[in-house]
Amino acid sequence: MNTVGVIFSAEFERRIRSRAFLIGTVIGALAIGALALLPGLLGGFASSTKTIVLVGDPALTSAAAKLLKRDFSIVATVPRLAQTPTVAYLDAHGKASAVAVLERRGDALHVVAYTRDPGGMRTAFATDLAPLQIGLATGTPPSEVAAHTKIAVEEHDVSGRFADASQAVAAKGIALAFIVLLYLAILLNAQSIVMAVAEEKTSRIAELLVAAIDPAQLLFAKILAATATSFVQLAVWIGTSVVVGKTVAGFFADAPAAAGAPALGVTAPEILWFIVFFIIGFIQCAVIFAAAGSLVNRSEDVGSISGPLYIPIIGAYIIAQFALQFPNAPNVVVFSFVPLLAPFVMFTRVVVGSVPAWQLVVSISINVLAAVALAWFSGRVYRVGMLMYGRLPSPRQIVAAMRQR
Amino acid sequence: MGSLVLSGVARSFGDVAAVRDISFEVPSGTTFGLLGPNGAGKTTTMRMILGILVPDRGSVAWNGAPVDLATRRRFGYLPEERGLYGKLKVREQIAYFGRLHGVPPPLDRKRADAWIERLDLGEYADRRCGELSKGNQQKVQIACAALHEPELLVLDEPFSGLDPVNAETLLDALRGLKAAGTTLILSSHQMWQIEDLCERFCIIADGTVRVTGTLTELRAAWPTRVIEIEPPSGALRAALDAEPQARALPLADRAVLAYEVPARADVAAMLRRLVAAGDVTRFERVEPRLSDIYMRAIGAEA
Repeated sequence: MNTVGVIFSAEFERRIRSRAFLIGTVIGALAIGALALLPGLLGGFASSTKTIVLVGDPALTSAAAKLLKRDFSIVATVPRLAQTPTVAYLDAHGKASAVAVLERRGDALHVVAYTRDPGGMRTAFATDLAPLQIGLATGTPPSEVAAHTKIAVEEHDVSGRFADASQAVAAKGIALAFIVLLYLAILLNAQSIVMAVAEEKTSRIAELLVAAIDPAQLLFAKILAATATSFVQLAVWIGTSVVVGKTVAGFFADAPAAAGAPALGVTAPEILWFIVFFIIGFIQCAVIFAAAGSLVNRSEDVGSISGPLYIPIIGAYIIAQFALQFPNAPNVVVFSFVPLLAPFVMFTRVVVGSVPAWQLVVSISINVLAAVALAWFSGRVYRVGMLMYGRLPSPRQIVAAMRQR
Repeated sequence: MGSLVLSGVARSFGDVAAVRDISFEVPSGTTFGLLGPNGAGKTTTMRMILGILVPDRGSVAWNGAPVDLATRRRFGYLPEERGLYGKLKVREQIAYFGRLHGVPPPLDRKRADAWIERLDLGEYADRRCGELSKGNQQKVQIACAALHEPELLVLDEPFSGLDPVNAETLLDALRGLKAAGTTLILSSHQMWQIEDLCERFCIIADGTVRVTGTLTELRAAWPTRVIEIEPPSGALRAALDAEPQARALPLADRAVLAYEVPARADVAAMLRRLVAAGDVTRFERVEPRLSDIYMRAIGAEA
């Protein structure tokens, strides 16, 4: 086995067996499992928060009850209130979340809601009760108005990418899940790279390694091992999301399964793009963090030197969230070419939108070149940084040392 | 016979010249002591030999060829500040460094076990290195540096911080390597250990070579000798004081008379004159010790 292979296998084994990796993988899997369960659970919570008591003239409340069924469960109907409802009143009526008092004022319907959650019901009442309001104004029975207000809306993707809207929505769920995975994988592994490199430097192992292997090869082997480790971690996370997602689909048959189980229905191209952008993004970040680790002389300095490096990763994550909604917005398109941001942003655009082939080729080319350039630059910093001791060097000192070899 | 040759190597860090001009030759199979005060440039010189640092000027050659990566992998290195993975177990650590230098499995583990036994580390073989005492960590480090049977082993301050028992264990290991024909370069402030072990020496200070050679050669260049005479009687003291080339040395805690004389002084004639002056029970011409030569070479003698 050559030296790169020796370092790769040792580094991989060390990382896989490290407590940080085990804890990160388990916590990540639990978090992803919880995310997969969340929509189903929230659906359950949502249904329990929509129980109401209807108050008003029986003719009015009976017509309203039929219309409100879509969003609410009516636990009681009473003609009038003796006093302004309190929490105790709501608790006494099946722990209802609100009391809705309906009143006809001329030809208009007036609704007064006493609720545990102010602001959360206005839209639902206005939408559901619109046929009743029109009915009161026109004399048409509300059921007839309701029948006429059902509008069939069809959305078609002009690029032909998605057959219908549900596919597009599912794609956003998938993209979001992958973005979270990418973010977590980079964040957790970047930190472990800094720590590992800093440990080798502060314990002077670096001198022994540099004496036996070219620093560039050493860095290459380390990044390779870190990438392989994070792939293992991702496999565990994706496996967890698939298993939990299937379970969720079974438990919450009526829940929005696509959002709850993002890994379900993932296509081969999406996985391929994820792997491509993951590798590019991971290498870009890993080499920078390794170089930063090589400049650290005390483990206490790790945070101060690596902290600013998280900014572009967090920025990329935020922009990707924006790209989920507006994949073809001009600024999103620009960011999808920028190194460090593109792995998140272009990947999101590819999954949820229609990206012209040339943009994809240009973005990948720019980012592969950027990864190579960053690796070269970081290799130089790493080479000198590993043997620089004393206080944290200034940028000028680093450049001078790089020139000096 | 092959050798390590340093020719006019120099290395600066910014405005600080760590090594100004160092040249010496270490014949293959020799044990070579590189001596000098703190900041003399020993570690920088060693790092240049190992390719960790590139010289600004000059060259480093092994067996007539420049030292490249392939050559360096046949070298071993024990840095001054020990470098071990604290969480790795002793046997795994030693085998890993062997593999880094090209020792294939399962030979790496076989040799690791041999070194563990040789250095009396058996009970720690499956313990993490971070749990060991400093002395035992140093033993592990020497095993890591020597597992691949290097042609050249560079040891920077190998005895620093070791208790006498562990220092003796390390000396034994180094004697074993020496007997096996390994070329050794070591720096140390423990003169008595290095004087015993090394055949050739190079004393450097301020980044330049002050003296280099075998101990015999260094002594030959030493301008004076010390003679010790017993008993410290008044008659002998008077006779010695009358010697024009002899200079009395203070030896407060010893019951002897000590005088410094020129290296080429006729001590036989001096002895005859002393015997004529009184009873002489001991007359010894003392060769300069390595520490004397060292102190004079670096300009720090009393």
